[in-house]
Amino acid sequence: MDKTFDTIAIGDTIAGTPFAPTRETIREFCDASLDYNPLHWDDDYMKGSFGKTQFGGIIMHGMTNFGIITKMLTDWLYPMGGVHRRLETRWKAPVKPGDTIVPTGTVTAKKVTGKGRWAVIAVEIKNQHGTTVAQGEAMAEFPPAT
Amino acid sequence: MNQVAIDFWKDEKLRMAWDDIVPGAPRKTVPYVLTREAIQAYCRSVGDLHPLYMDEDLARASPHGGLIAPPSIHILLMFACTPIDDWMRSPGTVNAGQSWSYNVPARPGDTIRMDARALDKFIRKDRLFVIHDNVFFNQNDDVICSGRGWTIRPM
Repeated sequence: MDKTFDTIAIGDTIAGTPFAPTRETIREFCDASLDYNPLHWDDDYMKGSFGKTQFGGIIMHGMTNFGIITKMLTDWLYPMGGVHRRLETRWKAPVKPGDTIVPTGTVTAKKVTGKGRWAVIAVEIKNQHGTTVAQGEAMAEFPPAT
Repeated sequence: MNQVAIDFWKDEKLRMAWDDIVPGAPRKTVPYVLTREAIQAYCRSVGDLHPLYMDEDLARASPHGGLIAPPSIHILLMFACTPIDDWMRSPGTVNAGQSWSYNVPARPGDTIRMDARALDKFIRKDRLFVIHDNVFFNQNDDVICSGRGWTIRPM
């Protein structure tokens, strides 16, 4: 049976699509986002120490995490007529070419307001080592009950 | 691959450093016409090929009545709507987190404008932080999305 707002339960999990960044996908994201910060393409720059941070090589854009979490949420919501309304994320660790990252979500709350029906979803991305690289919270709105 | 189409180093000296950024002061922005090609290039870059973004016929038959952009298209709009001397392009800027709210979807052909400013700046754990906020509007003055971001500024 297809999910609806009524059948969503606290603790329901959402499985996202694994994403395996490469130097080429990071470059593609540079072109698509117009974000050409040298953190993402300049090998010589990344050999050095950046303030207090030493990455040891180019890193994926943090906002790629945002994009793949969004895909997970919209893939889950669109079949239910749900609308992705909010996403808050913090980046916990860098992602590098060769990593494989997987987003997941867990429904933590449901709320019916005066004019809407809402779900709150905890979101997280882990890499192939089980390290959390991004964490946050999303909100989705669902059509009114008929 | 040390050559890119847009060189963030080139205008580095034109950009405000952390010391120069005034919380509350508006950032310069430029309107941007969002194209289907730009939306789909972004979608491919994050592996999101949903038909609402990619398939004209299916999107037309959907409640949206045509192609839309994914909510996270603000990732592109942030740079598309700012000039080359905007401080968000300073080499070494590290994105620490983001928070966005979504209203109406952006669509191909929309002329999008951005209202933006720094909200706050502070020092924490020996790092220089700025919080910025942005609101994107379409040509009908509908809010597409609004958001805040935390960046660590280069020293």
